[in-house]
Amino acid sequence: MTAWVKGDATDAEGAIAAAAALLAAAHAPVFAGLNADVAAIRAAYRLAGTIGASLDTQGAAGTYADLGALARVGAMTTTPAEARGRADVALVVGAKPEASALVAALRGGKPVRGRAAGADRQVLSVGGASAETLPSDLALLRAYAKGHLKDESPLNGIARALYAAQYGVVLYDPAELGELGVEMLQGLVRDVNEVTRCFALSLGDSDQDRAVVQVSAWTTGQAPRTGFGRKVPEHDPWRFDAVRQVSAGEADAALWLSSLPAARPDWLGALPSIAIVGEGSPEAVPGTAEIVIAVGVPGASAGGVLWNEGRAALTYRPGAGGGPSAADVLARIEHHIAGKDS
Amino acid sequence: MSVLSLRQAPPERLDFLNIAPATLAALSQGEAERLPIGTTRRGLVLGDCFQVSLDGGDSLTIEGGHERLDRVGAALGQGTIRVVGDVGQRLGEGMAGGTLTVTGNAGPYAGTGATGGTITIEGDAGDHAGGAVYAAKAGLDGATLIVKGTAGRHLGDRMRRGLILVERAGDHAGSRMIAGTIAAGSVGDHPGFGMRRGTLLLGSHGRLTPTFVETGTHDLVFLRLLARSLQRLSPRHAEIAAGPLRRYSGDLATIAKGEIWAAA
Repeated sequence: MTAWVKGDATDAEGAIAAAAALLAAAHAPVFAGLNADVAAIRAAYRLAGTIGASLDTQGAAGTYADLGALARVGAMTTTPAEARGRADVALVVGAKPEASALVAALRGGKPVRGRAAGADRQVLSVGGASAETLPSDLALLRAYAKGHLKDESPLNGIARALYAAQYGVVLYDPAELGELGVEMLQGLVRDVNEVTRCFALSLGDSDQDRAVVQVSAWTTGQAPRTGFGRKVPEHDPWRFDAVRQVSAGEADAALWLSSLPAARPDWLGALPSIAIVGEGSPEAVPGTAEIVIAVGVPGASAGGVLWNEGRAALTYRPGAGGGPSAADVLARIEHHIAGKDS
Repeated sequence: MSVLSLRQAPPERLDFLNIAPATLAALSQGEAERLPIGTTRRGLVLGDCFQVSLDGGDSLTIEGGHERLDRVGAALGQGTIRVVGDVGQRLGEGMAGGTLTVTGNAGPYAGTGATGGTITIEGDAGDHAGGAVYAAKAGLDGATLIVKGTAGRHLGDRMRRGLILVERAGDHAGSRMIAGTIAAGSVGDHPGFGMRRGTLLLGSHGRLTPTFVETGTHDLVFLRLLARSLQRLSPRHAEIAAGPLRRYSGDLATIAKGEIWAAA
């Protein structure tokens, strides 16, 4: 295992002991990133519960835009495979989804299953021109869909196309839309479902936030931004925002878990920190944090359960070798702390 | 009057959910000092951070506020709390009655879910003042929230009942409003985005969402009643209600029963 403590290369045991000492001395540690396989995310929640840490994720902005709207108005969603197989109308909302492979596949194909099988597929777009006007474009589109506005505008055409579809899919990036935009979009989808089938499909970043949402739900009953400072899991999206906690000086130690590739957060150098990063990644260098431990990359150099974007499910991805696992490192840190306390 | 005096800046966020005049009145000095208020494994209690002086009455003064004091006056049913200084998030969350005054600034979500009583913030309020917290049904729900300075973005987001009175507010004031009234000297862009019902009375505003349509100028009895009810809280806001107003109806993306009254 490759590991560094304060810039000096060390063995696994030394780095784990140093990490345990750092976390044991902290009063309000934060765990950020959580961009890893399910076993590592579970180990992170266990360790956080033991030491009273709080957790936050890599893609929290998008995750909470979706979750906030879900909690308020619900959601009607589909999977990428269903969209490719059944959609005869796809509506691309905003600029970001244009870069996704799914949108390219939708443009290049036709529905092959269901009521629209064999029909041509229309791929429409709205709000890609300006992020500024995106939520109000969506509001306008919904007003046309409801029939509250009527004229010859292109948005009215899009609204009519959604109603005329056998199976419509609305693709969006939650971080680009924000909670207000996602709620407006889910409202539009719900309105169209009074007449025909229509679904939303959230295209997030490639991080493991979807996996974290599930692990967090079955572990704590809550969404990811949960703190264990008072022993019981408390969910508070504002209070446990890692960036806010660090900039307000509330956190006194950080553990950044990212065994999958992700950019190092800027604030990591601002407080005593541990980085658990994928071996061979650009972040697996001594300068990333006070303590750096390189672990196997799930799905590449180690096996692991990851969120499968295409199937919209948690699936096992085999890895090449027996690299040290992030889950094992976190469990050993927990053992170390427990041993010292007893 | 009971007094809590802050000894020094708190080392972590403190939770004041259980610190109300009625709770303190039933406790001895020692019991009150042992009330847990910490939020980390330090396990801080009231006596660690505050000098406690009790008199068993129904009014409480917190001398020396701090932006880390969360949920001050939360679930207050009766009595008075006055904070000399700042407070953190969720001031007066779920409050049902009584009076809550902050001489400094408040953090986000002030007055969220408050069903009764009056909350006054003499300084500025953070984002989502009178707005709903994650997964909550509604924001302000019947209480009166007065912000004498500037409120942040999403003022009164998903509010359901009650009155919000502010000098200035940021973007998206009254977003997703279910019902209720907001009176503001000025607000930023997109007021009332996604509102279903409710009334916004605005001295001036930024860009309007195109899903609001102007419905002309009206002389309605309702406006005179609104002006009269605002008069006792803020003559300046009453003046806006009594002056010439343009009415916009929206948000057309929803059931469109909301209205914006903007000074003409």
